[in-house]
Amino acid sequence: MVRNIVVLGGNSHPELTKSVCEILGIPPCNRILTKFSSGESRCEIQDSVRGKDVYIIQTGFGGNGSRLNDHFMDLCIMISACKTGSARRVTAVLPLFPYSRQPDLPYKKTGAPLYKAQSESDKKNYTFDSVPVTPGPGTAQSTGLSNGADLLKSALTNGNGHANGDAYFGGQSIYTTHDYENASHVGAFQAKPGYKQWVAQAGTLVANLLTCAGADHVITMDLHDPQVQGFFDVPVDNLYGRPLLKRYIQTHIPNYKDAVIISPDAGGAKRATAIADSMGIDFALIHKVRSPPLAPIQAYQHPLFFTQERRPTKITDRQNASMMLVGNVTGRVCILIDDLVDTGNTITRAAKLLKKEGATTIYALITHGVFSGDAINRIKASAIDKIVVTNSVPQDEHKDLLGNKLDVLDISHIFAEAIRRVHHGESISVLFNHD
Amino acid sequence: MSAEMANEIKLISGRSHPELSEKIAKRLGIEVARTISLNYSNQETSFTVGESVRDEDVFIVQSTATGDVNEGLMELLIMISACRTASARRITAVIPNFPYARQDKKDKSRAPISARLVANMLQTAGANHIITVDLHASQIQGFFSVPGMATRSLLTLLVLDRADSSVVDNLYAEPSFLRYIRENFKPEDCVIVSPDAGGAKRATSIADHLNTAFALIHKERPRPNVVGRMVLVGNVQDKVAILVDDMADTCGTLVKAAAVLKEHGAKSVLALVTHGILSGNAIETLNNSVLEALVVTNTVPLGDKLERCPKIRVIDISPTIAEAIRRTHNGESVSYLFTHAPV
Repeated sequence: MVRNIVVLGGNSHPELTKSVCEILGIPPCNRILTKFSSGESRCEIQDSVRGKDVYIIQTGFGGNGSRLNDHFMDLCIMISACKTGSARRVTAVLPLFPYSRQPDLPYKKTGAPLYKAQSESDKKNYTFDSVPVTPGPGTAQSTGLSNGADLLKSALTNGNGHANGDAYFGGQSIYTTHDYENASHVGAFQAKPGYKQWVAQAGTLVANLLTCAGADHVITMDLHDPQVQGFFDVPVDNLYGRPLLKRYIQTHIPNYKDAVIISPDAGGAKRATAIADSMGIDFALIHKVRSPPLAPIQAYQHPLFFTQERRPTKITDRQNASMMLVGNVTGRVCILIDDLVDTGNTITRAAKLLKKEGATTIYALITHGVFSGDAINRIKASAIDKIVVTNSVPQDEHKDLLGNKLDVLDISHIFAEAIRRVHHGESISVLFNHD
Repeated sequence: MSAEMANEIKLISGRSHPELSEKIAKRLGIEVARTISLNYSNQETSFTVGESVRDEDVFIVQSTATGDVNEGLMELLIMISACRTASARRITAVIPNFPYARQDKKDKSRAPISARLVANMLQTAGANHIITVDLHASQIQGFFSVPGMATRSLLTLLVLDRADSSVVDNLYAEPSFLRYIRENFKPEDCVIVSPDAGGAKRATSIADHLNTAFALIHKERPRPNVVGRMVLVGNVQDKVAILVDDMADTCGTLVKAAAVLKEHGAKSVLALVTHGILSGNAIETLNNSVLEALVVTNTVPLGDKLERCPKIRVIDISPTIAEAIRRTHNGESVSYLFTHAPV
């Protein structure tokens, strides 16, 4: 029983709110949080919050018929309502921080890099990167996974007879990384000639909006960019899912000492090495080799550009990325570590490469399992044997769809403990590194 | 002339009401800027900018589509923030139907003042200026008679909340309404009726301009979106009763008021409303009512409601908004628009 504390739950993750409250031994705050028929959020907080320490739990996830932006606005309105209701301190608890990760090119229907086959002209083109990228001394290096669905298909079926995910690449490969209401509208969009279009990154905005609504403190978990912490003017506690993932490895993976921890991309290498180092397990890395094609010369008809060297257009880099494994996984259990699985594109591609390289079993341990778009089907069809996520977002529906392939770790006690410690003014750094 | 002329109007359109943006752009003789808003499959909003806004005078048009208020608002905030990141000289949010305008006071314990939150959010995102139409707050009707000296509750809230405040221009649909009534009816046959005491000033202002009679309906409201008993003050016998209000949401009030007016002998009843939100069962309610016509402006996208309800008529408000944008851009006075509707 913790005194003088109010835990208020949004609509995004009622189960988490419930179990956090159970652990803290307090009832959740009574509130009405619905929508008016006009679509505006309606929020009434029915218990007194005057002078209380208020924790509002709302995760950055829209699903099961609810919308992410609704949840975020609800959160801001709840914060604001508690502030006007004379709460002493309002802490926003966001297990998954919304808008913390945004891809650069959302408008490509062919957003999944696998979809686009490499053209002949691309192949013979010059690149500024040294290809293949020089590996470290003594490390094995794969021949790499060529780009394009057809190549992958042949590599998978002919290479080692492993046809996992084959159904997905047969016939029309219509993977879309992102679902859009109006595809033709998206296709028709063109930037002004000479202007390189860009996508707004909303991370800073979200941080500012929370502070503007009146949040005095933010608790979140495994931020995709730890730099997001720096966007805030208020304290941010970034909890780690790492201890949970480690415990899972120790208790659920047989002979885990012989396994290999894999980071599916270079950006997550730090996260994966941290686990590998502390457990004394080997580590390997999947690296996206970018072979940028030359820009077509007519794109630079402007006289200013004539004198310049022809440079690769960066915008197509992503489509032309091919994957390469640095490290040896033959005959071993692989554990993919990442912070977030959204459309599942990265990890399923990584899993295919690992299988091709001779991995026996593939586990994917990921903090936030968003599984949007066609992620569920993609993972079902993939070479991944087991995917493990936390319940930072509701997982019931995913569990129903993925069955035994999905294991869910409970994070409510981490958040409950963080809330308890923040409330009592105790250090929470213990939660960062209990190994 | 075009290449070196910096600081032009850049009109950016959100997804909520592209038709209105197109009309405004056409009126201004410009093109809507090349941007696109989308939702990722994880439902986050993405906003792609396809042309430079550096050092430009940016106007972002985003109404709030019924049912999708939060989506529209978040998209607007991201658009504003993106333009600020891209070094726009000034960012004006054109929000014909200001979201959460009705939640503008702490009417019970711990009720959020969401209108103020929205205003703060817009400023936090980077809006320098806000243009809106007929803000919902009873006091703002005083603005009609004394331009520039209004006691404006929500406006005051918006402006005074922060030191580095945005400037808010509240436009009025009243001139458009006056023209509509003059063009379609004989003012001496009409009675202007306010469906509640809060809107009395709005209605009397129109009645005064037209030199017509005025009546008032007093209502009791037990809960939001629910209407109680109604009492008519004034005479509507054998007259065309014109109900005037700032928004029609579920239309419960309007329809009940229309019934009361019919009972008291009104020849016909129609309603003039700025924002046709028309949520819930509004269309069915309207179709089954004695209301002859509902005249709304196009501040809110109506979608297929026009087909579903033959009683709805639309006044185009885009000339007023376009003119406000032009005047704001050129640093001219906007107050002319408070009394005149551009043709």
